[in-house]
Amino acid sequence: MSALAEANALLFAEAAALDERRWEDWLALFTEDCLYHVPAWRDEVTPTTDPRTEISIIHCAGRAQLAERVQRITGGRSVASLPPPRTAHVVGNVMLVEASDAALRVKSVWASHVFNVKRQDQHVFFSRVEHTLVRQDSAWRIARRHALLLNDRLPTMLDIYSL
Amino acid sequence: MRRADIAGLVDDRPADGVFRVHADAFRSRQVFDLEMATIFEGGWCFAGLDCQVPNPHDFFTTRIGRQPVVVQRGGDGVVRAFLNACRHKGALVCHLQQGNARTHTCQYHGWAYDSAGANVGIKLLRQGEYTPAFHAESHDLHAARCENYRGFLFVSLNPDVPPLAKHLGDMATFLDLIADQSPDGMELLPGTVTYTYRANWKFQVENTGDVYHFTSTHPSYIDVLAGRKAKDGAGADTTTYARFREKELVRGSMCFAHGHSAMWGSNPTPEARPLYASLDEVSARVGEARARWMLYVRNITVFPNVQFAENASLQMRVIRPLAPHLTEMTGYCLAAKGESPAARERRIRQYEEFFNPSGLATPDDTTAYEDCQAGMQAGRIDWHQGYMRGMAVVQQGGDRYAGELGITPQTSAHGGFEMGDETIFHGPYRYWRDRLVAGA
Ligand code: FES
Ligand SMILES: [Fe+2]
Repeated sequence: MSALAEANALLFAEAAALDERRWEDWLALFTEDCLYHVPAWRDEVTPTTDPRTEISIIHCAGRAQLAERVQRITGGRSVASLPPPRTAHVVGNVMLVEASDAALRVKSVWASHVFNVKRQDQHVFFSRVEHTLVRQDSAWRIARRHALLLNDRLPTMLDIYSL
Repeated sequence: MRRADIAGLVDDRPADGVFRVHADAFRSRQVFDLEMATIFEGGWCFAGLDCQVPNPHDFFTTRIGRQPVVVQRGGDGVVRAFLNACRHKGALVCHLQQGNARTHTCQYHGWAYDSAGANVGIKLLRQGEYTPAFHAESHDLHAARCENYRGFLFVSLNPDVPPLAKHLGDMATFLDLIADQSPDGMELLPGTVTYTYRANWKFQVENTGDVYHFTSTHPSYIDVLAGRKAKDGAGADTTTYARFREKELVRGSMCFAHGHSAMWGSNPTPEARPLYASLDEVSARVGEARARWMLYVRNITVFPNVQFAENASLQMRVIRPLAPHLTEMTGYCLAAKGESPAARERRIRQYEEFFNPSGLATPDDTTAYEDCQAGMQAGRIDWHQGYMRGMAVVQQGGDRYAGELGITPQTSAHGGFEMGDETIFHGPYRYWRDRLVAGA
């Protein structure tokens, strides 16, 4: 498989794991020390860039923090997370920005359709995403997922399945 | 609406031990329109911070009630507010959230205004064959009252309001507890998050002072903190809530004139606060009592539209009602200037995790408001029972804790964490009722 095809396969696997709520599979796609980052916006055109000094919408350092979110989503103790929403993630415009044997940098666009069953409302969150993939145990893993959410006026809430 | 109908929305009988609010306060369009006209557009509202317009000609745009407003520092250094609506046909003259501009030129027919809102140009004026009546009118942008209390900017679309200091009264002390945290003052960190929820704005006012909900609304957040603690011991006591059950905690509330309210509580993990590192300096500057209060959990509402929540981190949240059942919120992270990079980063992470609508706590609050709004369609349950905890201990005036701050609230109450005081809502609803009745 070409590097681009491998990147595609991983992104599609991520989207499918989210849509099918296979959380352990989703977590397994990330490296232990991954960075999952969704910056906030400073103004109409400028996202924040330095999470140490500026606000992010989500900033999770390490797979353990992603696992905390999964625990909250699945644990039945968060009224915002129940009943589960139905989602369809559409991934497109996948491009390889950098490629070596050890790492890939991949750009893509995500349209994440979320239907909240209890509220009977739906929303499409769209973002420009950059993945850094590294090879671990002969498979690609996500070392960094940076999603620039473009429609950031959030209807009630947003969680990892909305991105 | 008739005055008696509005007055009847609050069942306020302290002698009988009763305080109730009618569900129409949350679901009636007529009530909402009256709230907008009398409370939001008829009195002081929070607009933003002085540090958002540090230089001459800096501006930001906002809304006061339903109305678009520009807040701008003029060339003379004075911060003013004016309606963001051209005098020609009403188009917005300022299109950005923030920026710097000596003039605002309307892009429809080209009328121009300076940074103090004065008209400085009407395109083709001489050729316009205007009548003297036109020339006799002011063409300046409509001015609003704008006053600054220690960097907190308030705007009133109604010119006939008391001075801001009188409106704030002793509530100002709780703003001091924010402003004084650093000798250099506070700053607003870049990056805001805005969200909407499908419920009435007053659910947000209530929730910020609601101690009672925490353990039942946020068990998933409490689980996360417990999980971290189990994993790496004391190192996980990094937020105010990490050990909230383990120590003798006092929780109290105060209501002030004009609808303001404050919930406060002693802090089981003061060392988790960035401020803790500079406690000696702060104590020397503001005294031991106020320094200690700065480390307390404090959730305050400056009625009607701004809240400061200092617990896991320090959030400023601005409430913008859009409809009886729809509200927009914008959250801002405030921080003491000059804190260490490590403290700053920890503040930001705690902020995001607790306060963001994409975090581990706020979505559960917001969803609960939506559930209340949906449940309130049950027309037979007109009166709710959510305002009576703490009524047996609430006292007129200040308790000894208010005395530590040298302030005199209208009412105060304190007890253990589990009392979950609800008298904190009484002052806001009494003022709300009085304003609506006066404006009806
Ligand atoms: S509306 Fe502004 S110039 Fe006509
Ligand atoms: Fe809450």
